[in-house]
Amino acid sequence: MRNAARPAGVFCILTFAFCITCLLAASCSGRPAPTAVEGPWFTDQAHESGLDFVHFNGMTGDFSFPEVMPPGVALLDYDDDGDLDVFVAQGQMLGERPPGDALQRPPSPLISRLYRNGLEVRANGTRTLRFTDVTTASRLLVRGYAMGAATGDFNNDGCVDLYVTNLERSQLFRNNCDGTFNDVTSETRTEDRAWSVSAAFVDYDRDGWLDLFVGNYVHYDVKEEKPCLHSIGSLRDYCPPSVFRPQPGRLYHNNRDGTFSDVTAAAGMAREFGPALGVSTADFNGDGWIDVYVANDGAPNHLWINRHDGTFTNTALLAGVALGADGEAKGSMGVDAGDFDHDGDEDLFITELAREGHNLYVNDGSGVFEERGAAAGIRLPSLPYTGFGAAWLDVDNDGWLDILTVNGAVRHTADALTRKETFSLQQPKQLFRNDGNGRFVDVTGQAGAVLKVPDVSRGAAFGDIDNDGDTDVVVANDSGPIRLLMNHIGSRKHWIGLRVVGRNRRDIVGARVGIVRPSGPAVWRRARADGSYGSANDPRVLVGLGDMAGIDKVRVEWPDGRAEEWTGVPVDRYTTLKEGTGQ
Amino acid sequence: MRASIVIGVALLLMSSCTQAKEPKTRDRQVPHPVALPDLSRLEGSVQIQLRERYAALTTKQNEPGTPAVDLADAYGEMGTLFLAAEILDPAEAALLNAQTLAPRQMRWPYYLGHLYRTKGDIGSAATAFERALTLSPNDVATMTWLGEAALDRGRTEVAEGLFTKALTIESRSAAAHYGLGRAQLADRNYAPAARHLEEALALDGKASVVHYPLAMAYRGLGDARRAEGHLQQRGDQRIRKDPLLKALDDLLHSALTYEKNADDAGSRGEWTAAVEYLEKAVTLAPTRASPHHKLGTALFYLGDRRGAVDEFTEALRLSPSLAVAHYALGVIHLDAKEYPQAIASFSAAIRSDPAYVDARVGLADALRRSGQLKASVSEYERILKIDPGSSRARVGYEAALSELKRMRTESPR
Repeated sequence: MRNAARPAGVFCILTFAFCITCLLAASCSGRPAPTAVEGPWFTDQAHESGLDFVHFNGMTGDFSFPEVMPPGVALLDYDDDGDLDVFVAQGQMLGERPPGDALQRPPSPLISRLYRNGLEVRANGTRTLRFTDVTTASRLLVRGYAMGAATGDFNNDGCVDLYVTNLERSQLFRNNCDGTFNDVTSETRTEDRAWSVSAAFVDYDRDGWLDLFVGNYVHYDVKEEKPCLHSIGSLRDYCPPSVFRPQPGRLYHNNRDGTFSDVTAAAGMAREFGPALGVSTADFNGDGWIDVYVANDGAPNHLWINRHDGTFTNTALLAGVALGADGEAKGSMGVDAGDFDHDGDEDLFITELAREGHNLYVNDGSGVFEERGAAAGIRLPSLPYTGFGAAWLDVDNDGWLDILTVNGAVRHTADALTRKETFSLQQPKQLFRNDGNGRFVDVTGQAGAVLKVPDVSRGAAFGDIDNDGDTDVVVANDSGPIRLLMNHIGSRKHWIGLRVVGRNRRDIVGARVGIVRPSGPAVWRRARADGSYGSANDPRVLVGLGDMAGIDKVRVEWPDGRAEEWTGVPVDRYTTLKEGTGQ
Repeated sequence: MRASIVIGVALLLMSSCTQAKEPKTRDRQVPHPVALPDLSRLEGSVQIQLRERYAALTTKQNEPGTPAVDLADAYGEMGTLFLAAEILDPAEAALLNAQTLAPRQMRWPYYLGHLYRTKGDIGSAATAFERALTLSPNDVATMTWLGEAALDRGRTEVAEGLFTKALTIESRSAAAHYGLGRAQLADRNYAPAARHLEEALALDGKASVVHYPLAMAYRGLGDARRAEGHLQQRGDQRIRKDPLLKALDDLLHSALTYEKNADDAGSRGEWTAAVEYLEKAVTLAPTRASPHHKLGTALFYLGDRRGAVDEFTEALRLSPSLAVAHYALGVIHLDAKEYPQAIASFSAAIRSDPAYVDARVGLADALRRSGQLKASVSEYERILKIDPGSSRARVGYEAALSELKRMRTESPR
């Protein structure tokens, strides 16, 4: 159990009418009280730490569709110094329009940026974050209108590589293990000219080499774009995705020689596709093989179940994860998989458009799901907002996965348009705390003023940026400054941090990690960098232990089916578990 | 039982708040100022409508001795018009004023409930619907909307109580069966869920939204065959709207709104109603191609081939690259065995949109039926590369191959 329950019954005995009123108002529901913490749970430290990125979307007042979709952000330890660096995607002017037509002054230089984390941890445990722009030195030259990023060590050299999704031509950058990158898109044959937002490195054939799934969105040509009007006349607004043709995603098989092959059709993924925005990989049906979930914008989502022979089959409809509870195709954007209810399987959380409500698909362990967003208390508070980046994270390290979403509308209200506003899409972020009983509580109001700051948020990358044992969040805002939400409450509890690597020191994304505790069920997490929206997360596994000062053992189930166990793993620090060194 | 107590006490509490008598004269304060926003970029007809309604409201405000109920109506009608136009801030102000001036009139809290639903503020929506229900306790529509709000909040027990009560008043309410079925489904009571959803479908067979939760209910019962069957029939056609909500949909004198209403009518197969909406849309926006194309489609379904051709032709005059209009003409020509014209129309549609699979199938069919078998086979093969799952293309392809084979067999003789 999470915390002692508030004695709601006392109030109910005192007055029946008051009790009924409380039942209706959900204020007497017997839920555990939130953790009492002094000060804000999160503060924004972007500016003081040197993260000075400001996104530019090229808007001119013409409401061009791509303007409302970026940017994504990635957390990756590109220099392998033990702390997370930040990559963030930048926009451009669209089409032939000169920068002078933009409503927002373009920042200089107008390029996607890589920031090196120069984290300093002193002997007394205090720490200082300082980010330095190393874009030029790293030779990370992103062309065109970038959308997001995916990370993974595709060539097994122990250095994390970077795939940058784009409006027109995505790029794969190989990390040279010396602080620089090379654009290897052409030589690796991963050139995808479709508009993509989210992608994921995934070893779907269990051969020890990361393959690449790229979720493509819609066909877009700025020269062909026709104006979309609000329903009451000539109020021009951003278009819905339904006016564009969806594009099929791409599955690239790693040939283990520095090249990839496009196996989309052979894998059976060419037949069904939608406007993809979110991608999450996990073993959803518990057969030991990684599957792929694709969140589509305004079309049924796809659950590609791995058939162990290089092919996939989409089971989303009957599995209950294609649509909302009422059968409606929602505007799915961000997605993440995680075991929020400690039953050993991975459940799905998906952000949706305002008025749709976010989806919580609860897995029964066999890849069959039930949508429980309303029952879990997520649907109601999410209805006013359009969610993008999101992830399962244990904010307070009590062992239960909470949810943080970053929000921002995609279309204006008629009220805003009549006021001739051109980019009034700002919304606050939201934090949902897992009560440990299948229900969540919107604790945004308690989490700090920074969550209430309205932004047009899109990407969000989750990871422990200051290595203090809790999950921080980098939020990439459309046409706005990046935010660095530093967590101040997680490290007050015990935790265990694990980096699971192969013999070649590659982070083994897809590995399933079980923490066997002295009491309670084992807690299972998957090492993963994918999920959220156009973003890449910390691949390390961080598990909150609450008040438990030790664990019994750690079990790692590698993607190739083998398993190893370690005992004596220390808590409240990070440990690297190397393949082949366990029992 | 517990749910009904909860609802009962809630209504009791609500009713105590709404026992205030309506003021008889206009000597009262309206707390929310209502001003016209900048209407300059709205459709002309909507601008006129809003200005006229606002002028009527202003006249009532300025007339000494206007009965409170009349002023309430003026605010309420202004508010509903804003709501129909989705200009929500002044809509809320006007409807709140109407509610204050006429506290026993259920329409205004009912529409406020829908306004808050539109904003995603389900708590306020539920409060407004509760108020409307207190004023009109047997109103099934309000009861089902309050039930929907309870479902949004995850309070299935409250929802079940409301939908059940609605069915005791109106046993043939598809909306109440639909709501009760979904509430039971959320509680994993699959058998009653399936029963109520089947009933909803029996009462409103066009409501394709029912199929998905019904499929999930059968899945829960272990009946995969029925589940799959309903998944294939799923759609987004909602349960028929209640009269007050329908009135809101019909309120706006706007070409785009008429076109949207026609889409709804068409998807229910109500082609006469669709034609009526589209004729209004065409009158308001004669230079827009889309309503002409849709009017042509509606007329075609009503059997007026000539009228349909005229409308498609007009749509193409206004927008020569409108692929769907070329396609529609192709279908009409193919149906009339006018193969050269059909081939020309389908080809024009493909030129406008090379990925238009239906147009490609139409072209392949027209080629096959006109005897151009080799060309039709090539076209079918092209389609099956783009869309391997196209059953129409597969059937046509096999028919063309079979015909070609038969001709080759016969030709040596």
